Amino acid sequence: MEKSNISTENHEYSFIEKHSFFIFIALSTFIAAFVVVVSMIMYNGSGAAQLDLSRPGYVSVRSQAKTDSTDFQNYSSTGKIEKSDINEFKTLYDKQAQRVKVVDAFGGDPLSPEALNISAPTE
Amino acid sequence: MKINKKLLSVLLFVITFVGATSYLNVSAQDNPISNEQINRIYTNCTLTKNTLNQIHASDALLRVNMGQIYESMSNKLMTRFNNRVANNNFDNKSLKSVTDSYNSTLDTFRTDYKRYEEHLTAAINIDCKKQPVSFYDAISSARSDRGRVHNDIVKINQFIDQYQLAVGEFEKNYIDIAGGAKN
Repeated sequence: MEKSNISTENHEYSFIEKHSFFIFIALSTFIAAFVVVVSMIMYNGSGAAQLDLSRPGYVSVRSQAKTDSTDFQNYSSTGKIEKSDINEFKTLYDKQAQRVKVVDAFGGDPLSPEALNISAPTE
Repeated sequence: MKINKKLLSVLLFVITFVGATSYLNVSAQDNPISNEQINRIYTNCTLTKNTLNQIHASDALLRVNMGQIYESMSNKLMTRFNNRVANNNFDNKSLKSVTDSYNSTLDTFRTDYKRYEEHLTAAINIDCKKQPVSFYDAISSARSDRGRVHNDIVKINQFIDQYQLAVGEFEKNYIDIAGGAKN
């Protein structure tokens, strides 16, 4: 019993043992920062950032994003093919094709100097 | 030796001339705006930035909403129909070929839109009062990127039409085969 007490008193603590709590906090912070950097790189690199309407610049349009896809019916990939099945597909497909073609997406030229009112003044 | 010196001097002259011409061309392309335009950018700076922010937001909304439809057309309709055709032992090569081209163009659209958005954001972040020329160049870059995105959309629409035609062709063949089997 006496012997063990003596050995505890003489024990010298290493740097890690002395600063274990500080090292734990520093290591946790480093790991958290590393994970954040990696996830930000993935977020920006994957194109997810461009689809994220929760970003501050998109407040005005956020509510207009379509969140439900109930108007887009799935076509079954299993089962026999009859004339009626082809017609069913054509109806579904034509409906969506019409929806796409109605919009002239990214058409026009809103970034032209004339549209932005930064063109050279005409004499 | 004398001829060599002459040749060398002519060569040096040609190199200098070509170099100077190309440098002038590059400089002209880098800074194609006049002082009046710079003044205009300076004066309309806030208004232009507001317009750019509106375009940025409305294009993002368009990207999200239209992107959903484009992806659903492929995942929920084209691929499923192709699989069903193949499962019934019919030839789906032409349908699959159009679907592959459609998906590939959709990938290009995603990449091009990402580049466009990054360039537009860069333009928005430039101080147009301090750096009007850089601001103008950044807008020009975003403008050409937007044109590229629009071209992708035109191609996607063409593939949608082509798939419609391919389904029509398949239907014709199906009727022929089904009619032949009945007879």
